[in-house]
Formats: sequence, structure tokens, C-alpha cells
Amino acid sequence: MMADTFNEQTMHAAADWWVRLRDPAAADQTVEQWLAWTSADASHLRAFEKVTELAERLGTLGEVSRAQLVAEFAPVEAARRRWLPLAMAAAVVGMALMSGYFAWSLRGTRLAPQVYSSEVAARRDITLVDGTTVTLGGATTLTAQFSRDQRQVELAQGEAFFQVAHNAGRPFVVNAGKLAIHDVGTAFDVRRTGDHVTIAVTEGRVRIFNRADRAGDGLEAVAGQLVSYDPGRAALSVSSTDLARATAWRNDRLEFDNESLAVVVANINRYRVRPVRIADPYLESLTFTGTVKTDAIDDWLHALPQVLPVKVRDAGSQTILSDAARNGDR
Amino acid sequence: MVPAHAAQIAALFRDHNRALVAFLQCRLNSLSDAQEVAQEAYIRMFTLEHPEQVDSLRAYLFRTASNLAVDRLRMRKVRHEHPIEAPSEDVHLAPIPERHASATEQLHGLHRALRELPAKTSRAFVMHVIDGCDIGVIARAMKISERMVRYHVANALAHCRARVDELEMP
Repeated sequence: MMADTFNEQTMHAAADWWVRLRDPAAADQTVEQWLAWTSADASHLRAFEKVTELAERLGTLGEVSRAQLVAEFAPVEAARRRWLPLAMAAAVVGMALMSGYFAWSLRGTRLAPQVYSSEVAARRDITLVDGTTVTLGGATTLTAQFSRDQRQVELAQGEAFFQVAHNAGRPFVVNAGKLAIHDVGTAFDVRRTGDHVTIAVTEGRVRIFNRADRAGDGLEAVAGQLVSYDPGRAALSVSSTDLARATAWRNDRLEFDNESLAVVVANINRYRVRPVRIADPYLESLTFTGTVKTDAIDDWLHALPQVLPVKVRDAGSQTILSDAARNGDR
Repeated sequence: MVPAHAAQIAALFRDHNRALVAFLQCRLNSLSDAQEVAQEAYIRMFTLEHPEQVDSLRAYLFRTASNLAVDRLRMRKVRHEHPIEAPSEDVHLAPIPERHASATEQLHGLHRALRELPAKTSRAFVMHVIDGCDIGVIARAMKISERMVRYHVANALAHCRARVDELEMP
């Protein structure tokens, strides 16, 4: 069979037509011109079909391939910055605050921002000036900045459960990493681990926006739903959740559903004075599903080698997780 | 129906069906959807009440097909944006890697081809063709005009097509 070879010019013209015709608002005249082009030479329509076929194939790639290409060639701006080594998560509480200040874009009179934080392994209940109650998980920092027409809270790190005093004229917004969560009469939990953010709605509804794209309609989530944002894919996923599970941390239990070891460890470190560190980066992407009791983290660490291929070793001020298959110390 | 009109539609089909399907595939990114919509467009043509009043049946056929494609995209968007009713089951499952060795080889080829291009060109292309972002969204994200986005996308598309062809026909 004869190979389809096209001269470069034809291929470029075909690709150019593909882009022009893709526009749903393309004028009838554009279509007429394109038809004239296709009938000018038999190779033209064939080249156009080849281009279209490739575009279809690339537009319907599997999730893994798509994510890889997006990560390499079109990463979301801030996702390029790797988050701090996880073992430092607990130490970084004070610093992380500063990032919050860049995000405010408020109109109207502002009150001075209020900063609230909790210690590692501690929980703290606070009431904001509008009557909203917030429970902070371990090693959590948030800043509240209220103006006359808006209530903004920046979750710099950690986890918090909000029971919002509803006021439609003064929307309540939680900013966490790349997401903005708008309250629509609600109680919800937000957990932020670097740029990984999960939102569990326990009552009412929230609307979640990508902060880089406020023009969109956002994603609405209702009670019983868990929304998670994965910076690697720059995408939101929605699943249903057991309400008791999502806020189990308020009863000294951390629940994880198929989450990466990196995320699990970062969250455990919010409850452990001696941080756990992952020595082999490849371990970070292993996933874990289960419960960790915050008052029995050592027991969990002890049992971990039974479910994941890791070695656990104490090294003074920290605990090291390393690849079980790797030779060496022990 | 007037037999003459049926004959005209038969002629349209004979002369332009391939172009019509290619046009719809470009819009819909799916050959099977394109074929379905084309069928529907012909049916609309057959049930046209006053075909003699239409200036150009060909233009009318493409316009009808274009409108049907817009409807179909809108339907897809609704389904895509309101997945809440039925959260897709696979979100928590390990992703399935592409199965065929040749597919893997082609993906490597694609990565290589994209690396040969200027960063803006490959970025615009990946956002539009692979990630499905609208041209306007890309223009805002990259802070360039929509015309420039289209220019980058077309360049990358031609380049990748040529590189993938080299792989498929060594």
C-alpha cells in the first residue's frame, strides 16, 4: 500500500483548517472556503482527515497519558513549585501563613486579619467574629479576614471543620491552595496538604471554584460528598463519603481512602511531635486506605510493614520510612 | 416528497459525505458521533418543507450539521459538569495504562515531538487538543490572543502529525 505522504505545506494547511473549523462560531463562509480547498486537490481532504484522526486520538487518551502530558507541557502555574519536604510540615506552620496574604482581593472596609493556629497533636475550637465556629485539627493555621461584604478565610495548612453562620449578603469563602470554597448554608471540612485539598460536606452545600478561573460556575457539592483536588492532575474528583468518617479526626481518628503515602504521612505529622519522613521518593505514591488513631500513631507505624513494602526505623528526632527491598541498615 | 429533492440529497451525500463527516469529526472529536450527526443532518434535509427556497442545499446541510454538533457538545458538557448524580466509579481506582506496546511507543514519540516545539506551542496544543480547554480559556491562561493560541495549536498539530506518521511508517 502506498504510504500517505503529504508535503509540509498541505499538512500545515490541514492543521490550520482544523483549528478554524473547530470554532463553533465559524461562519458559513469559512466552511465554503474549506470545501473549496478540499476539492482543489485530492490530497487535501485526506490530509485533513489525518489531522482530525490524530486530534481525536489525542483528545481521548487515557487518564494517565493525559495527566503526564499536561504535567510536562501545561502544568498549572503554582503546581510547579514542589511542596516542602514533608517532615518539615510541622515546623512550617508559622511560615505558611505568609503565603495567605497574597491571596486577598477584597472590596470594602477590611478588619485586621485574625490568625489562628494550633499546635502539633492539638485540636482547637474557635468562634469567629461572625459566629461561625471552627475546629482546627493538629498543626493547622488559618487566617480570617472579614470585610463588610465578604468573609474570607485562608487555610494555610492543616485541616479545619467549619459550621458557618449563614449570611447570604456576606458570603463565606474558604481559600485552600488553588481552590476557593463558597459556603451555601453549610457545615464542611477542609483538609489541605500542600496543594492537595479535600473538602467533605456534612451539611448543606458548597460551591468550589478554581481560584485561577473565577469566571467558571464552579462545582457544587452537597452533604455526603467528598471533593478532592489533586495538583498532579489539576483536577477535581467527586465521591461520596461517610459523614462520620470525614470528620473522624475530631474524635482522634484520621481516615484515609486510597490516599498517597505522602499525603497520609503529612497528615499524621500534624499529630506527631517527632515527624515521620519518607526516605525513598518512590514510596510517596503508594496508597493507603484505613484508619490511624492519633493517640496510637506508633502502633500504626509498627504495623505498616505488614501492608506496605516499607521499613520503619527511629532516628532520634524523626522516624524514617524506607523501601523494604533496599539493602542496608537494620 | 418531491423526487427531485431526494435526488439532490443523494447527490449531496455522494459528493460531500466524506467532507461532512470529517468536518463533524473535527467539531466532535469522535468519528462515531460524527457519523451519527451526519445521518441526522440528512434526515433534516429530507424533511425540509420548502427545499426550493433554500439557496444552497450544501451550505444548508453543513449549517444544519454544525448546529446539531453544537447541541451535542452542549449535551456532553452538561453530562461532564454534573457528574454529581453518578460519580464515576473509577476516580479511586488505579488508572489503566494504555495497553499496547505500539500505543506506548507512539506516546513516547508524541512526547519527543512536543519537546521539539517552543514551550508556548506545545503548551497551547496540550491544553486544547489533549486537555480539551477552550481557546478563550487558554488565551487568558497564557496571556496571549486567541489568534496566537490557534496559530500555536495548528503548528503543533501539523508537527505531531508528521512525527507520528514517521513512527507509523518507518
